[in-house]
Amino acid sequence: MANLTRFNLRDKGAEMWANWSRPVRTIFVLALIGLISLLPFAASWGPTSFLNTPITSFQNVLVYPVGMFILMALGLNIVVGKSGLLDLGYVAFFAIGAYSQGILSTLYGWNTWEIMPFGIGFAMISGVILGLPALRLRGDYLAIITLGFGEIVRIVAINLSVTGGANGIPGIPNPPSILGLHFDLMHPQVYFWLVFTMILLVIWMIRRFTIRRPGRAWEAIRQDEDVAALMGVNTLVYKLWSFVIGAAVGGAAGVLFASKVAVISPDMFKFDVSILILACVVFGGIGNIWGVALGAALLAYLPERIRFISDARQLVFGLVLIIMMNMRPDGLLPRKKREKITEKRAI
Amino acid sequence: MATSRQCRGVATLHNTLHLNRLVDMNFSVITTQFWSLVLQGLALGLIYALVSLGYTMVYGVLRLINFANSEVFMIGTFATLYLEIHVLGYATNAKSLHGATLIWTLFVVFIGAMIACAIVAMLVELVAYRRLRARGANRLASLISAIGVSIALLEGMRIITISRPMTTPRLLDKWSFGQFHGANFRIDTMMAIVVPIIIFVALDRFVTKSRLGKSIRAVSMSEENSKLMGININRVITLTFCIGGLTTGAAAFIYTTVYENTVFNVGFNMGIAAFTAAVLGGIGNLRGAFYGGIALGMLEQFASAMLGSQWKAVTVFTVLVVVLLFKPNGLFGEAVQQTRT
Amino acid sequence: MNKKIVSGLAFAAAATLALGVVATSPASAAGKTEVTLAFQGPLTGGDAQLGQDQIPGAIYAIALYNAKNPKVKVNLIKADSQCDGTVAANIAPGVAANKAVIGVIGTSCSGEARNSFPAYKAAGLTMIAPSASAVSLTNPKAPDRGFPIFHRVVAHDGFQAPALARYAAKGVTAPKFYVIDDMTTYGGPLAKGTLPTAKKLGTVVGTDSVPKGTADYTSVASKVKASGANVVIYGGYTTDAAKLFKALRDGGYTGILASGDGTNTSDFPGLAGKAAEGVRLTAADVPFDSILTKAQLADFTKITGVKVPGLYSTTAYNATNIFLDCISKGSLTRSAIQLCVTNGSWIGAGGETIKFDRYGDIIGGAPVGGYLVKNGVIVYDSVA
Repeated sequence: MANLTRFNLRDKGAEMWANWSRPVRTIFVLALIGLISLLPFAASWGPTSFLNTPITSFQNVLVYPVGMFILMALGLNIVVGKSGLLDLGYVAFFAIGAYSQGILSTLYGWNTWEIMPFGIGFAMISGVILGLPALRLRGDYLAIITLGFGEIVRIVAINLSVTGGANGIPGIPNPPSILGLHFDLMHPQVYFWLVFTMILLVIWMIRRFTIRRPGRAWEAIRQDEDVAALMGVNTLVYKLWSFVIGAAVGGAAGVLFASKVAVISPDMFKFDVSILILACVVFGGIGNIWGVALGAALLAYLPERIRFISDARQLVFGLVLIIMMNMRPDGLLPRKKREKITEKRAI
Repeated sequence: MATSRQCRGVATLHNTLHLNRLVDMNFSVITTQFWSLVLQGLALGLIYALVSLGYTMVYGVLRLINFANSEVFMIGTFATLYLEIHVLGYATNAKSLHGATLIWTLFVVFIGAMIACAIVAMLVELVAYRRLRARGANRLASLISAIGVSIALLEGMRIITISRPMTTPRLLDKWSFGQFHGANFRIDTMMAIVVPIIIFVALDRFVTKSRLGKSIRAVSMSEENSKLMGININRVITLTFCIGGLTTGAAAFIYTTVYENTVFNVGFNMGIAAFTAAVLGGIGNLRGAFYGGIALGMLEQFASAMLGSQWKAVTVFTVLVVVLLFKPNGLFGEAVQQTRT
Repeated sequence: MNKKIVSGLAFAAAATLALGVVATSPASAAGKTEVTLAFQGPLTGGDAQLGQDQIPGAIYAIALYNAKNPKVKVNLIKADSQCDGTVAANIAPGVAANKAVIGVIGTSCSGEARNSFPAYKAAGLTMIAPSASAVSLTNPKAPDRGFPIFHRVVAHDGFQAPALARYAAKGVTAPKFYVIDDMTTYGGPLAKGTLPTAKKLGTVVGTDSVPKGTADYTSVASKVKASGANVVIYGGYTTDAAKLFKALRDGGYTGILASGDGTNTSDFPGLAGKAAEGVRLTAADVPFDSILTKAQLADFTKITGVKVPGLYSTTAYNATNIFLDCISKGSLTRSAIQLCVTNGSWIGAGGETIKFDRYGDIIGGAPVGGYLVKNGVIVYDSVA
C-alpha cells in the first residue's frame, strides 16, 4: 500500500528506461517518433477518429496550437523550470520571430529558411536587452517587467507602420518546398512534421545543456541563488543564458507560425498567450521536459476538442487549472525525485 | 508583384525614419491642458491606488502576486450595476437623484460593492491560495491557481453577459463646481479624489495603530516570528484579502459611477495598471500604493496628451523599468531582506 | 498521490471518448440535394450586434428559398468570428475544410475578412460580404486584397468616408474637424479617408488614434475641448464610440458627433445614453423595413423572431440571394458558384443592380445613407 501512494509516474518511467539496454531504447524512441509522425492522419483513421476537432481541422490544430505550444512551453521551461525565473511576457519573443518572418519576407522577399536564423537572432538580442536590466531585480519584479515587455512589443507592433499597424502583415509566403514536400494550406501535415522536427531538435539541445555545466549552474541557481553565487557560479551570466535560449526557441516558433498562417496581426500576441504557455509549463510539471510537452499538448488540444460546448471552453480551462493545482501542484509529471526532496525545508 | 513589395518597403522605411511622424510629440499641451491633466490624473490614479492595495497588501503577507484581484474589481463593477438596476430598480435611462435619496442610494451601493468584493476576495484566498500554502506547494503553483480563478471568473462573467458591455444609470448628475484653467471640477471627479484619500488615511491609521493592523505588518515582516508570537497567520491572511477586497470594491464603485459602463474584461487593464502602481510605489508598502497610483495616473494622462493615446502604455512601462533600475524597491520601497528570486 | 492522477487521466480519456460519440462529426460531403452556406461574422463578443443584425436577413432569404424549392435544400452554418482577426484565422481553415460549404456569406468585419482570405483563396470558396468595407480588400494593388474570391454588396469606405465627412458637417458654417480612429483595419482607414473631404469643407484641428478597447477617454476629451473643434468624427465600433461620445459630452463638448457604420448598431443609443442624442451616423445600407411590405415584415418576424430588422439585414439578404440564385441555376459546387458570382447580374432588394467588377466591388458603387439618433432610436435621415 505504501508503495502505491509513493508511486511516481516519472520515476517509474525512469526506472524502466534505466533497465533497458541500448538497442531496446533506440527501438522505443524510433517507434515513438514514428507513431507521432502518423498523428496527422489519426483523424481520418476509424479507431482514432474521436480525436477529431469540430470546426477547426485536426491537422491544423496539431500545428497550432498544439505543436507551437509544445515548442514554446519547452522554451519557457528553460527559463522558468530550469532557472526558476518567472517570465510573464514570453509571447514577446514569439511575436518578434513572427514579425521578423512577416517583415523580411514581404519587404525583401526572403524565404523562411533564410529568415529563421535572423528571427532567432532578433529574439535572442531582445532577450539580452530585456534580461540585462531585468535579471538583476528580484524575482517578482522580473515578472512585472517581463509582462510589461510583452505588452510593449505588442503595442509597438500596433503603432508602427513597418509592422503594418493594427492590421498586421498580410500575404506572408509559405516556406519553399523541401524534397517535394509542399508547405501550404492544403498540406498541414507537412507543417506538423516540420514543427515536430523542431521540437525534437529543441529537446536534444536542452538535454545537452542540462547534462553539462549550464544545466548544473541553472539547477544551483534555481535552488538557492545566494549559495550558488558564493560557490562561484556567475549567476547573472547563466540566468541571461537561460533567458536567451528560451527567447531563441520562442523566436523560432514565431517564424514558423507566421509562415503557416500567412497573416499576422498584433492581437495574436496578447498577454493571454504568455499565461497559457506558463500554464502549460506548470500544469505539465516545471522543469520536466516530458511533463511540459504533455501538459502543453493537453492544454492546447482539449479546448479545441471540447469546442462543441463553444462558449464555455475557456471557462472549463480555467476550472481545470484550479482543480489541477489544488490536486497536484507539481504538475502531471513532476521533477526528478531527488530534486524534489532537496526542496523541502525543515519546519 | 515585386514592385509593390519594394514600394511598400521604401515607403515604410521612410516612415520609420521620420520620428516626428511616428510619435506626434505635442509639448504645447503642457501649457494648455496642464491643470486638466493633473486633475484627471489624480482622479484616475487614486482609483488605481485603491485597486493596487489588493495586490500590495497580499504581496506583503504572502509574497505572492494576487492575480485574481483584477477579477475582484470586475465583479465589483458588476455588483454596482446589479445593485443599481436590479435591486434598487433604476432603469438605465432613469433620471438622476438628488438630496437625501442620492446620498443614501450611493452609500448603499458603495457598501454593497465593497462587501461583494470582500467576499469574492476571501473566496479567492480560500480556493486559490490556502490549500496550496498548507501543502507547501511552490509559488508558481499558487500563481497558476490564481490565474485559473481569474480566467474562471472572467469567462463566467463573459458567458453571463454574452460579452455585451453594460451601462449603469446616471444616478449622480455630473454637474461641475467650476473650472480652473481648463480643469473641470466635476462632482464625480471630486468623489474619485476625496473618497480614496479618506480610505487611505483610515487604512493607514488602522495598520499603524490597531492590533489587527499591527499583526498584518508583523506577518509581512516575518511569518515565522509572527507564528512564534502567537499570531493566527490564517486569520491575518484572510483579513488582508478582505481589506484588499474592500478597497477594490470602493474603487469599482467609483469607476462605475465615473465611466457608467462595464464589461466582462474590464479587470484586465485595470489589474495591470494597479499592479504597476503597486510596484512603482514599492510593493508591500501601503503609502507606496497611494503615491504609486497617483504617479501612474498622472503619467498616463500626460503621456497620452503629449505622445498620443496609442503610446500611453509603452511610456508607462518604460518609466517603470527605468525607475526599477535605479530604485529596485520602487519609489518608496523599504529595503527587503530577501533579494533572491 | 499518483492514484489520483491515474484515475484523473482515465476519467479524462473516458470523457473524451464519450464526447467523441456525442459530439457532432464534421459535416458529410455534399449530396446532390443538400448544400450549405456559411455565415461568418460576430455572433458573440462585444460587436455581436453587428452579426446578430445581419444574420436574420440571411435566414429569411434561405427560408423563403427552401419553401419554394423542395428539390435542393440549403443549410446555413454559423461561423462565429467575434469580429476578431485571430479567431477568423483559426476558424476559416475549418470552414474551408468542410466540403459541404459552397459559399460564405461574410465576413461582417474587414479585419476578419483579411485573415480569412488565405484559407478561402486556397479552397476556392466564394465570399460575398454584407458589410466588410475596408478599401484594401478590393484594391488590386493591396497585398491583402481578396481577389478572386471576395465580393461585397456594400459601398466600400472609399465612398463612405467622404460621405461621412459631408454628412457630419451638414449645416455647419465653419466646420472644425477633430478626427479620431480606433486603430483597426476598419476604423483607421475610414477616419483617415474623411480627412481630404474635411479639409475641403473646413479645417482639421486635430487627430488622434485610440486603440479599440480603451476604457478611459478623458484625455482625448480634454484634447478635443482644447482644440476648439465643433465636428468630431470617429472611425470605429459601437462600444468605443459610446465611451468616447459620453466622455466628450461630459467634458463639456457641445458640437456635432459623427461616426460610420461600425457604430450604426441598434445597441448604440442604449450604451451611449444621453450622449447618443443627435449623433450622425452613416451606413452603406437602406433599412430593410423600408423595403419590405407589411406582410413581408410580418413573415420576416415569424421566421427570424426579429421585430425590427437591424442594420445590414438588407445587404445580408442580398448577399444570400445571390448565392441562392446561383444554386437555383444549378451551381452546386464551389467552382460553379465562383463562376456564377463573378459573371452574374442581379437586382437587389432596394431595386439596385448588382454586378461585380473584377476585384469584387459592385459596378457603379452603392449609395451611402445618413442616419440620426432621435429619442434613443436610430432613424434613417437621407442620402449622405
